[in-house]
Amino acid sequence: MTAAVESVRTLTLREVGPAERGTRPDEVVIALSPAFGEPFTKTIVDVPHAEVIRQLLAGIEERGGSARIIKVYRTADLAAIAHFGAKLSGSGIAVGVLSRGTTVLHQRDLARLSNLELFPQAPLLDAEVFRMIGANAAQYAQGQSPRPVPTRNDQMARPRWQAKAALLHLKEFECIDHARAAVEVEPVITRVD
Amino acid sequence: MTSDVSELTPADYPLSINRPDLLRTPTGKALGDITMAGVVSGEVTNEDLRVTPDTLVMQGQIAESVGRRQLGENCRRAAEMTAIPDEEVLAMYNALRPNASTAAQLEEIASRLEGTYSASTCAALVREAAQVYAARTLLAEEDS
Amino acid sequence: MTAVAPRSESAVHTSKRTAILEDRPVNLDGFVEEWPEKGLVAMESDYDPQPSVRVEDGRIVELDGRTRDAFDFMDTYIADHAIDVETCEAAVATPSVEIARMLVDPRTSRDEIVALGRGLTPAKILDVVKLMNVVEIMMGIQKTRSRRTPANQAHSTSAKDNPIQVAADAAEAAVRGFAELETTLGVLRYAPLVAIGLQVGGQTGRGGVLTQCALEEATELDLGMRGITAYAETISIYGTESVFVDGDDTPWSKAFLASAYASRGIKMRFTSGTGSEVQMGNAEGRSMLYLEIRCILMAKGAGVQGLQNGSISCIGVPGAVPGGIRAVAAENLVASWMDLECASGNDQSFSHSPMRRTSRLLPQMLPGTDFVCSGYSGVPNKDNMFAGSNLDTEDYDDWNVIQRDMQVDGGLRHVREDVILQVRNKAARAMQAVFAELDLPAITDEEVEAATYADSSDDYPDRDVLADLEGAKSVMDRGITGLDLVKVLERTGFGDVAENYLQVLRQRVSGDLLQTAAIFTGDFVPLAAINDANDYAGPGTGYRLSGERWEELKKLRHVTSAENPEEEVV
Repeated sequence: MTAAVESVRTLTLREVGPAERGTRPDEVVIALSPAFGEPFTKTIVDVPHAEVIRQLLAGIEERGGSARIIKVYRTADLAAIAHFGAKLSGSGIAVGVLSRGTTVLHQRDLARLSNLELFPQAPLLDAEVFRMIGANAAQYAQGQSPRPVPTRNDQMARPRWQAKAALLHLKEFECIDHARAAVEVEPVITRVD
Repeated sequence: MTSDVSELTPADYPLSINRPDLLRTPTGKALGDITMAGVVSGEVTNEDLRVTPDTLVMQGQIAESVGRRQLGENCRRAAEMTAIPDEEVLAMYNALRPNASTAAQLEEIASRLEGTYSASTCAALVREAAQVYAARTLLAEEDS
Repeated sequence: MTAVAPRSESAVHTSKRTAILEDRPVNLDGFVEEWPEKGLVAMESDYDPQPSVRVEDGRIVELDGRTRDAFDFMDTYIADHAIDVETCEAAVATPSVEIARMLVDPRTSRDEIVALGRGLTPAKILDVVKLMNVVEIMMGIQKTRSRRTPANQAHSTSAKDNPIQVAADAAEAAVRGFAELETTLGVLRYAPLVAIGLQVGGQTGRGGVLTQCALEEATELDLGMRGITAYAETISIYGTESVFVDGDDTPWSKAFLASAYASRGIKMRFTSGTGSEVQMGNAEGRSMLYLEIRCILMAKGAGVQGLQNGSISCIGVPGAVPGGIRAVAAENLVASWMDLECASGNDQSFSHSPMRRTSRLLPQMLPGTDFVCSGYSGVPNKDNMFAGSNLDTEDYDDWNVIQRDMQVDGGLRHVREDVILQVRNKAARAMQAVFAELDLPAITDEEVEAATYADSSDDYPDRDVLADLEGAKSVMDRGITGLDLVKVLERTGFGDVAENYLQVLRQRVSGDLLQTAAIFTGDFVPLAAINDANDYAGPGTGYRLSGERWEELKKLRHVTSAENPEEEVV
């Protein structure tokens, strides 16, 4: 499924302070789940978290947006993570990402269980899709209406991935820390050859 | 209710074949009156294609006669519900969802079921739900 | 952190045999280790409660180790509605091994074991089925299945939501023998047109086939009330309070809904299955089967006639843990034993391995269930909008051969090509007439021709989707009902289809389809677990594939004639 990666990028999320409301009107907040980056390092189909972040940032940047990353500890519910991020976002737009890769584009004024675009099938999300998601986020942040990222479907995702997804979900739940407030983080991506 | 109804047994099933004499549409037509000719002439209407409370009670008795107590109860609740318009049935269902109604709102529904529709079995179900929801904090906030 | 060794990609040397095995389809399936503390375990967990029950003043005050003050709403509902208060203390005191033997032993009648089951708690039922291996579970299903005659259900959907495709494939599925047909949508707004396609196609293929459209509760009920669909199935229930609430329902709201369907004369069953709770992260540390048994008892308590179970959309979860497919068979057994109609799964893409797909199917197909598949894909899997089934149209001939090999009735039959082409063509023409009469976007002759010979949605001309969606909306806005469709079919020369459809609608008046496991024979005789109650009592009893039906199942696409071996039997 995933090609062998010859050079590996590792991701460190350096804490820079409490997660606060941003002011830049073109800002996209990337809101990460409790286990993202640490202790987990890759999605359900082995896309390194470093690559997820790199592609989202590249997508946002190439469409002229700016990005800020926060990490959430009090919930592992994707809709809640993304909606929380959207409320802190200067533009009201956020990308929520679970450590297994499941991703949603959210907007501050929408109901929590609603969304702009949802990518529920984590096994189908690769680097290219994450870049497109970033690009769309930036366009939403600038008040545009981009074409939704084409959704993929795979009949055989269930037999292959459903149980692993459940396992990863349970592990992510174990990383919830109700006592720990969300923080803003800075990604440090290093390349290991 | 006709007197022989209380003696319904599995041998009466299917009613459409073995006991069509017991069946009426809500407008009082016999099952045999539902024909294509009747449909084309407009004598048979949508109202005729519904089940009556009497028929539901009979089906409930047949179910109970083979030990299906709960299916019988469901048929009795259903018999009561035939009087409630479609939209209101849906609204009541939505009101029974978790955190959707206050205790007072559920009691209002129960009273309406009892008063307007003589649906005492349905009312009991709603009151029972209200009690459990209160204990499990599944009632809507009282404030608004 | 994750104690998983990397796969052997880095290993330099593998044998040629290993390379071949690595490439086998089964190795594309996912398998995981158990995690019982979190409920990621099929049916044998130290974290499940021990059976117990105590009655005071005619009320159950203790259930499986919990006293009433600690009951969650599932405990409350099951204690107050599902379990017989009079018999439960004695029933639970019966040794589990004794009950398990009664389930298997043909000398214990179905009535006897069902009556005993009415007094059992969820943990006691689990304790019983844990003693049974998969063959014993099948023995139990054979005896406790509610309807004597097994049947089958098909999915008819379209990747393009094309109503003509749905109609043609429904007609073919009906003529092949399915007793029920189910559809759902990619674009939900297409629902009225696709549901009409399913009904018109189904009644063209075989009068009396029952149809349903899986949607959110309110719309599903609405289409049923209008008489565009005949029954409902996607009424989901869950085994923990938290997941039930996440699904925005409670046992009381679902019980109310069950009565609402019955009040309109519409057949309905609930849906549940192993794995859904752990999949949603809230199994509360219980095994998948324990939670499913709670669902089964909740359904019984609500008085709904039946249940679709067998993991259903979560099959990848029990399918990935040890003993998972045994647990799935066990949940079908418990539903049958609790005297519910059981539509027994086999309805979702399950494995990359053809061998594994077949072995997963046998515990339901061999003993027979009320619906062996609660969704055999009557379209190619790529058109299956339920995300694929364990079986699809490519498997029709295999299924027919397995029926013939094993002399079991899986509800289908081989049908000659000319008959299939005829019903597909007629279904498409009936749709063409209905659309024209109702001022819906026209169906061209080219589309009718395509429907006659097509395999998948790729073989049809594209429809104007926006115009169709407008049309779908107008069907709802104009309040078009099943009776309107009957009139249109009658008026446009499809009198036999109209008559079949009217017969289905007429049944609402009798309520006959509300009884457990009711279906229609081809002659519109309701067949339920009353006039066709399962009477299995050991060898030589119960449903036996014989006579005319067996002759029918001996036919295949290619069988060499005994009389003239140079020819095939037609």
